Amino acid sequence: MRPFNPQFILDVIPNLLPFLWVTLSVVLGTVFFGSLLGFVLARAKLSQKPLYCWLADGYIYIIRCTPSIVLLFIVFYGLPKFCLEVFDMDINGYEKIFFVLVTFTLLFAAPISEVMRSAYEAIDHGQYEAAVSIGLTPWQAFYHIILPQATVVALPNFGNSVIELMKEGSLAYTIGLVDLIGKGQLIISQNYGAYALETYLPLAFIYLLLTLGVEKSFLRLEHAFSRQKKAA
Amino acid sequence: MLKITNVHKKYNDNEVLKGVDINVAKGDVVVILGPSGSGKTTLLRCINFLDHADQGEMEFDEYHLQMHSATADEVRKIRQKTAFVFQNYNLFQNKTVLENVTAGLIIGRNIEKNEAVDLALKALAKVGLSDRVNFYPSQLSGGQQQRVGIARAIAVQPDVILFDEPTSALDPELISEVLGIIKQLAEEGTTMIIVTHEMKFAADVATHVIFMADGNIVEEGRPKDIFQSPKEERTRNFLRRVLPQVEYNI
Ligand SMILES: Nc1ncnc2c1ncn2[C@@H]1O[C@H](COP(=O)(O)OP(=O)(O)O)[C@@H](O)[C@H]1O
Ligand SMILES: [Mg+2]
Repeated sequence: MRPFNPQFILDVIPNLLPFLWVTLSVVLGTVFFGSLLGFVLARAKLSQKPLYCWLADGYIYIIRCTPSIVLLFIVFYGLPKFCLEVFDMDINGYEKIFFVLVTFTLLFAAPISEVMRSAYEAIDHGQYEAAVSIGLTPWQAFYHIILPQATVVALPNFGNSVIELMKEGSLAYTIGLVDLIGKGQLIISQNYGAYALETYLPLAFIYLLLTLGVEKSFLRLEHAFSRQKKAA
Repeated sequence: MLKITNVHKKYNDNEVLKGVDINVAKGDVVVILGPSGSGKTTLLRCINFLDHADQGEMEFDEYHLQMHSATADEVRKIRQKTAFVFQNYNLFQNKTVLENVTAGLIIGRNIEKNEAVDLALKALAKVGLSDRVNFYPSQLSGGQQQRVGIARAIAVQPDVILFDEPTSALDPELISEVLGIIKQLAEEGTTMIIVTHEMKFAADVATHVIFMADGNIVEEGRPKDIFQSPKEERTRNFLRRVLPQVEYNI
C-alpha cells in the first residue's frame, strides 16, 4: 500500500479553497429561499383554515420521509421534464447550482417552518393582543412585537438547522456540482483514486471550521438579539 | 358615545353572552360585577374585537357597525378609539417601559418620535413611573407593570379604556397603588369600563354598575342602588358573598 502523504494535504488545500464560495453560496442561498418558504409554511400551519394546515402538514411529512439524495435526483431529472411539459419551458441547460438550490430550499423549508412555528407559539399571545388593542395593525403587532422575540427563541434551532444543511449540502456533487466536495472528487479521480484520504481529511477540516464559524455567528446573533433580556 | 346592543357570543356550544346591551356616555365609569365565568372578560374582548361576537350592533360616535361582520378597517378604527388594560398586563417584554408606551403612538398612529416620547413621559408621570422609563418589564414589580399597562392605554388618548380585572394578578399590598391611579383617572373624567372584584373601589368610582351572571345583565343602575338595595335575588346573593370580605380587609 502507498504510504500516507502529508505533503499532499498541504498541496490540495489551495486547489480546494477556490470552490469554498460555491459551497457557501448553496448554504446562503438555501437559507434565504428556504426561510421564505419556511415562513409561508409556518404561516399556513398557524392558519385558522384547516386546508392550509393540512397542506403544510402534508408537505412537511413528505419531506421528512424523503432522503435528500433522492429529492436531489427527482429535482434534477424531474424538474426539467415538468417545466417542459407544463410550462413549455426548457430549463435543461440551467446551471447545476440552480437544481441544488431548489432541492435544498424544498428540504430546508420543512424543519425551519417547525422552528419558526414553535418560536412563534413560545411568545405569549397576550402581547399581540395588547399591541392591536392600542391600535397597531395585526402585521405591525407581529413585526414589531412578536417577531423580534420569536427570533431570539428560534436562533439556536435555526443555527442547528443551518449546520445540518451545510453537511447535507455535500451531496450536491452527485449531480455534478463542483463545490468543495465536487472539486475533491475531481482531484481524487484525476489521481485514479489515490490520495483519497489526503483529500478527504482537509475537506473534513474545512467543514469543521465552517461549522465552528456558523456556531459562533449564531451565538453572536443570539447575544445581540437578547441583550434586553439579559438586562433583566 | 358607545352603545352596543344585543351582543351574543358562543364558544362551541357554550353560550357565553346571551344578548348584552351596554350604553356608555362620555365621562362614565361603568363597573361590571359578576361571578367568575359570567362572561365579563368575553364582553370586554368583544368590544375591542379581540374576540368576535356572533351577533351584536355597535354604535361608537360616528361609526355604526355589525359586530360579527366588522371589516379589518372598522376593527382598526374602533381599536384606535379604545385601549385595553389586561389582567396579566401583557407588556411588550422586548421593549423598555418608555417603548411600551410609545409603541401605540409611533407605530400605531404614526406620531413623530419626539412628540410621542413627550406624551409617553406625561402618561408615565401620571402613573408615578417617571424614574423607571428605561427599565424592562421583567425588572418591575407587578404593580409597576400594571401601571405601565395603564400608561400605555392612556398615552394613546382613547375615548374609552377597558379594564379587565386590573388588580387580580397583584399581591394584596400592590393593589391600592393601581386602584389609586384608576380612581384619579375617574376623577379627571376618563371614560372607562371596568371589570373588578374590588367592591369598595367599585362603589367609589362607578357612575354606573352592571351586575352580570351567566352571560346576561341581571341588574344595573347607580352604585348606591345596586350596593344598598339590589332588586334581584342573584345580585343580593353575589353581594352577600363578596362584601363581608371587603369589610375584613379594611
Ligand atoms: N377562548 C375560549 N374558549 C372556550 N371557552 C371560553 C373561552 N374564553 C372563555 N370561555 C368560557 O366563557 C365563559 C365566560 O368566560 P369569561 O368571559 O372569561 O368570564 P369572566 O370574565 O366573567 O370570568 C366561561 O365559561 C369560559 O370557560
Ligand atoms: Mg374574567
